[in-house]
Amino acid sequence: MPFAIEIHDLHKQYKGSWSPALDGLSLYVKKNQIVGLLGPNGAGKTTSINILCGLVEPDEGSAKIYGHNCGKDTLAIRGMTGVVPQQIALFANLTAWENFYYIGRLYGIDDKKIRERSNMLLERLGLDKHADKRIGRYSGGMKRRANIIASLLHEPRLLILDEPTAGVDVQSRAMILNFLKEYHSRGNTILYTSHLMEEAEQICDEVAIIDEGKFVVGGSPKELVSNTAGCRRLEDVFLHYTGHSVRD
Amino acid sequence: MRKTLATVIKEWILFRRDIAGLLLLFIMPAILIIVMALVQDAPFRDYQEMRFDLLIADNDQGSLAQQIKAGLRQSKNFHLVDSVDGKPLSEENLKQLLQKGKYKVGIVIPKGATAEVANSANIIANDLSKKLGLGSTLPAREHRGNTYIHMYFDPVSKPTFRTSIHFALDKFITAACSNELISRVSKLSKLQNDSTADTKNGDFGKVFEGVGLKEEPLNDKASYTKHMNSVQHNVPAWAIFGIFFIVIPIGGHIIREREEGSALRIELIPRAHISVAFGKIVFYTLVCTLQFIVMCCIGVWIMPLINLPSLGLGLHPLALLPMAMATGFAATAYGYFVGTLFKTTNQALPFGAISVVIFSAMGGIWVPIELLSPAMQKVALLSPMHWALDGVHNLILRDGNLGDILQNIVFLLCFGLCLWLVSIYKYNKRGHSIQ
Repeated sequence: MPFAIEIHDLHKQYKGSWSPALDGLSLYVKKNQIVGLLGPNGAGKTTSINILCGLVEPDEGSAKIYGHNCGKDTLAIRGMTGVVPQQIALFANLTAWENFYYIGRLYGIDDKKIRERSNMLLERLGLDKHADKRIGRYSGGMKRRANIIASLLHEPRLLILDEPTAGVDVQSRAMILNFLKEYHSRGNTILYTSHLMEEAEQICDEVAIIDEGKFVVGGSPKELVSNTAGCRRLEDVFLHYTGHSVRD
Repeated sequence: MRKTLATVIKEWILFRRDIAGLLLLFIMPAILIIVMALVQDAPFRDYQEMRFDLLIADNDQGSLAQQIKAGLRQSKNFHLVDSVDGKPLSEENLKQLLQKGKYKVGIVIPKGATAEVANSANIIANDLSKKLGLGSTLPAREHRGNTYIHMYFDPVSKPTFRTSIHFALDKFITAACSNELISRVSKLSKLQNDSTADTKNGDFGKVFEGVGLKEEPLNDKASYTKHMNSVQHNVPAWAIFGIFFIVIPIGGHIIREREEGSALRIELIPRAHISVAFGKIVFYTLVCTLQFIVMCCIGVWIMPLINLPSLGLGLHPLALLPMAMATGFAATAYGYFVGTLFKTTNQALPFGAISVVIFSAMGGIWVPIELLSPAMQKVALLSPMHWALDGVHNLILRDGNLGDILQNIVFLLCFGLCLWLVSIYKYNKRGHSIQ
């Protein structure tokens, strides 16, 4: 099975919404790749992630992670997937260490392994000196890094990140991107959404541009740039396919 | 189980970090029970337990008035006031003082009351003498109309107060009249030289010693039995109210976790939600139980320091523990329900607070359920606070044991379980999603 993620003809329309969030989206992510899911606001990126995590049910179509159906095998999928939401999904009044210990316990990981894994990740993401500080007192960049650690405690094979570098400084962004590359180099798959094209260009093996709930174009950033006339950067390709009109 | 325990530990860490919230959770109910016990102390006291200033205008100056005054002076309930500023009270003075509200009650013994009672007693004695064939008679005349002892009340006095005082005074007057009658019969006997009829005990009360009404405890452990008083009602009642007020922090806590995203994290962990929910319920149930224990300790040891009766815990004080835990479970589950049902704290907190006040009003927290109308007494059965309070009363007033509160515990557990299941259903239905 070559694919880590198989999304086939997904349709989803939320109640009260005028247009569908997903309108026949199909997408395939090979194992051991970093894939950037790019699209303007309202393109369907977050809905796709919600469906992959089993948080939202599609109206039609199917989504699979490592062969497991996202709507039915939710438990198996959540066990093998790490999701880093855009919001800081941590307890603000607990320290980083207490958060990781609690989350690790909920994953059923034993204390020794939680400690080892937390310490390794805290060190790797530069938070080892702040492990005993409450998350609420962290800076924006520190919170983002802690958010990633919490999603990796159970050693997932697939990491899904929703704009993990939104609102962080250059140093924190560099640290996060380096970490993701390193994580990928250990044979893991990463699906990643961002509005920052140069970031995607920098770390993604492939990108998929979606718009209005549909797949638009995909391929390696270099291929896309060279195959699209008049484009010198990925951002040009993005604008070429999604247009210049502002999305609400 | 490890997940539940981890949640309990996490809640404990969060709880102890919020020192202000923690103190409020214990200090506010403590203040509430003390204030309510003090405020309601007087209304809860039986009138028999209280001592009143009783104005008395004696226009008779006879033996009947002397007997009534002697009886009232011996009573623990009345303090006789028969003169003001060194002058004997007149009927007019008495009325003025009552009208001003300086005193609550007064009686006027009319002129000739003793003579009238003596005449009535002579008539009865003569009648008896005739029927018994004694032959001797005492001087008697026709009745001279009404010589009632008049009672006056401060116009502000409540009907229940008037009735209680009326009965208490009536008792002394009846005793005085009866004493008069006995002395007349005794006099007749002496006239007949019947030594056996000589009553050594001229006092009516002594004659009938061992006869009459006497209140007895329902069980054989009379050394314990406590009566309803302000502390026995208010400490458990407001402690239960305080327990249910945990709805506010729990509801807010659940909504906050949803808003800040930590609930999403839990949702993304396989099989974590139920364990986390259970952990929260266990933790807050323990907090509620501890809260109840602290309130009981205040009732037992602090209340006597402020001149209130000490809280009696009944013959089976340990049975209060499961009662408190069941109450805590019901309150916690209700908080969980409120937190799950509503989307924002602006919706949840007012609903939680007002619904708790409604439950308390319905459930007999403010006033004992016995004082409510029959319809409201039926409505009270819908309030979990009624079941909680009734269970505690079974233990601390009716000397019940665990068996006597099983029904209350089962109701509270069912109430909590139903709300918890609805909350889990609602939680799953609403779900969480990455925004």
